[in-house]
Amino acid sequence: MRGSRIWRVGLVLAAVALLAAGCFHSDDGEEAGDGAGTGEAEAQGDGGGSLLTQVQDRGTLNCGVNDAVPGFGFQDEAGEFQGFDIDFCRVVAAAILGDAEAVEYRPLTAEQRFTALQAREVDVLIRNTTFTSSRDGTEGARFLYTTFYDGQGMMVRADSGYESLEDMDGETICVLSGTTTELNLESSFQALGVDYEPLAFEDNEPLQEAFIQERCGAWTSDKSQLAGVRSNFPEDQGGPESLVILDETMSKEPLGPVVRDGDDDWADAVNWAIIATVQAEEFEITSENIDEMLESDNPEIQRFLGQPVEGEAFDSGLGLPPDFAEQVVRQVGNYGEIYERNVGETSPLELPRDFNALWTDGGLHQAPPYR
Amino acid sequence: MSTVATTTRRPPPWRNVRVLRWVFQAVFLFLVALLLLYLWETATDNLRRLGIRTDFRYLRQPAGFAIPSSDFRSSQSLFDAILVGIQNTAKVALLGIVLATILGVVVGVARLSTNWLVRRAAAAYVETFRNIPVLIIIIFCWLGVFLRLPPIRDATEVLDLVVVSNRGMVVPWFDKVGSGAVFGLVAVAGFVLAAAAWIWRSRRFDRTGQPHRRALWAGGILLAVLAVGFFATGRPWVLETPERGELSTAGGFRLSPEYAALLIGLTVYTASHIAEIVRGSILAVPRGQTEAANAVGLSGLVRLRYVVLPQAFRISIPPVANQYLNLVKNSSLGVAVSYYEVTKITQVSISQAAPAVQAILLLMGVYLVFSLSIAFVTNLFNRRLTLKGR
Repeated sequence: MRGSRIWRVGLVLAAVALLAAGCFHSDDGEEAGDGAGTGEAEAQGDGGGSLLTQVQDRGTLNCGVNDAVPGFGFQDEAGEFQGFDIDFCRVVAAAILGDAEAVEYRPLTAEQRFTALQAREVDVLIRNTTFTSSRDGTEGARFLYTTFYDGQGMMVRADSGYESLEDMDGETICVLSGTTTELNLESSFQALGVDYEPLAFEDNEPLQEAFIQERCGAWTSDKSQLAGVRSNFPEDQGGPESLVILDETMSKEPLGPVVRDGDDDWADAVNWAIIATVQAEEFEITSENIDEMLESDNPEIQRFLGQPVEGEAFDSGLGLPPDFAEQVVRQVGNYGEIYERNVGETSPLELPRDFNALWTDGGLHQAPPYR
Repeated sequence: MSTVATTTRRPPPWRNVRVLRWVFQAVFLFLVALLLLYLWETATDNLRRLGIRTDFRYLRQPAGFAIPSSDFRSSQSLFDAILVGIQNTAKVALLGIVLATILGVVVGVARLSTNWLVRRAAAAYVETFRNIPVLIIIIFCWLGVFLRLPPIRDATEVLDLVVVSNRGMVVPWFDKVGSGAVFGLVAVAGFVLAAAAWIWRSRRFDRTGQPHRRALWAGGILLAVLAVGFFATGRPWVLETPERGELSTAGGFRLSPEYAALLIGLTVYTASHIAEIVRGSILAVPRGQTEAANAVGLSGLVRLRYVVLPQAFRISIPPVANQYLNLVKNSSLGVAVSYYEVTKITQVSISQAAPAVQAILLLMGVYLVFSLSIAFVTNLFNRRLTLKGR
């Protein structure tokens, strides 16, 4: 009899303990929630401080990229990742880890990318992603320095006779789903009052197949991407010459790297690593003349490259190694070199610099001062 | 004396098996609820910390994207977009269930045919489609069949009625020109009359034993009422033949390549499974039943229709219902060929800044409702058809 009573008391106690645990847990939750508003240490999660130290401990950078856009992010015949966005992954790795090759590339579709970023699968997302207010506001994303100023265009077959969007009444238009392009297409055609039918795909491959088979008569995307696709259009389908990109620009598409909200140290480090390429071009430092530039008399260049000025190397307090700019330029190059190599006039894409020139040449790129 | 007392007195609650069972159930339920609460709290905390919303208000925002083959406007809300997705899922799933059932029964019966060629052809069909992933079948139908149709400028026209191109197959369809409300009332009246005739003929048959011919009666009455109603209300619908344009077709009903590929892929795949179930169910009908039917001199088709299939049907309902559920769930593969069913629309809305956790939860809820509805209907059938009281 006594044994049974103890049993019953034990049961009640256990239930109370569980209940209490539940309550305490939700208290914890609220505290953490409040903490996110005020302190930063809470927000960085994982208990290991900023992602900056985590990446440095890990020794590799997880970079979310595209693997299907020639010139920006794609895999070459050898299976190596290549392109403009890929080079910026390498820039970040060179600055933070001192080794441009210490990158784990994670190919992501347009629809996966923000989920992968939120789930901490990638440290930084460099995948021709347009900076918009709702993405900044609701995806928990933080957009950094715009690496490429793009605009949305329309590609059609040269023999289709289309000269502007107004001619395209009743046409079926292929588009990648989950992109700003998909939304701009709808608003542009609504504004023009032109009827069309959208056909949206997750990946470029089925989209290209549908376009080749004339399931759709036009392909809309960022102009840079269209140029990449056009340059790689199969020869047996007519090659690049059989396609034209219409002059109209349907939207502005500032593309740049994205990190998670709430980790300012990491965001700052990535941002300044990337801006270093623009600053290097302003200083006319290239991967070729970097050794001479290290000996430069210009104190600004000395400071930028982390050379001791008056006995001490400049430390901006970003948590980056003092020679990060030197490593970026030496291992990857300055902005102009990256641009020319991947998408510029000498590459198959043949994109002029236009908006992507330095501010001194009438473009939009201006590096904030390194001081 | 004491033994008598213990047998008549109820044991104390902590030794009463029935009470203890309830207590254990309650504790277990409590623990599960606690675990779920913990997971939910963790998820919402982490999302809040990342600055991601945890409510469902996003559903009221305008969608912004367009949905092909629908009246949906991009200024409508995301909620409306998901409703369109649910409709599209229902369109492909319900028609797929009907077609897969017909095809499955035909192939399943054919597998037991005495004709060598029919039997082998059915076996080849089953073994081929049962062993290929349904995704591959769908993509093949789309890439290999429908996209290879001539482009729109070389579209094939059959008798000026059907236009076939890789932008879809367009068939003549009814176009509404007048008000359909009156005609709708007439149609309802027709159905009521037909049902009444059916019941009357059945009762008369039960009483007198004269041939009832109830299908003929009911069908005839319905057709007559519909025909009279159609002309009396001023022909609210006209049959419109498709008009071929430069880039698209006007009028008629358009079967898009994406819809057709998904429908055919789901149908042939599910039919191969249903065929096996039908074959097994027929074999499970005791042999004596067939022999008895033969003995009373029933022909092959009559034997199948009145003796074998009704019994096989009863056996096959639960496994076939399973296949229906699979078909509904597999319809989410429409994503691969850009068919805008509910999964595709959820994916698009997630990448257009709808919060992923809530959107996926909603999607799971939608499929759950679909599946539970189908399970409910098939269970009703099952309960009506199971042998009772033997």
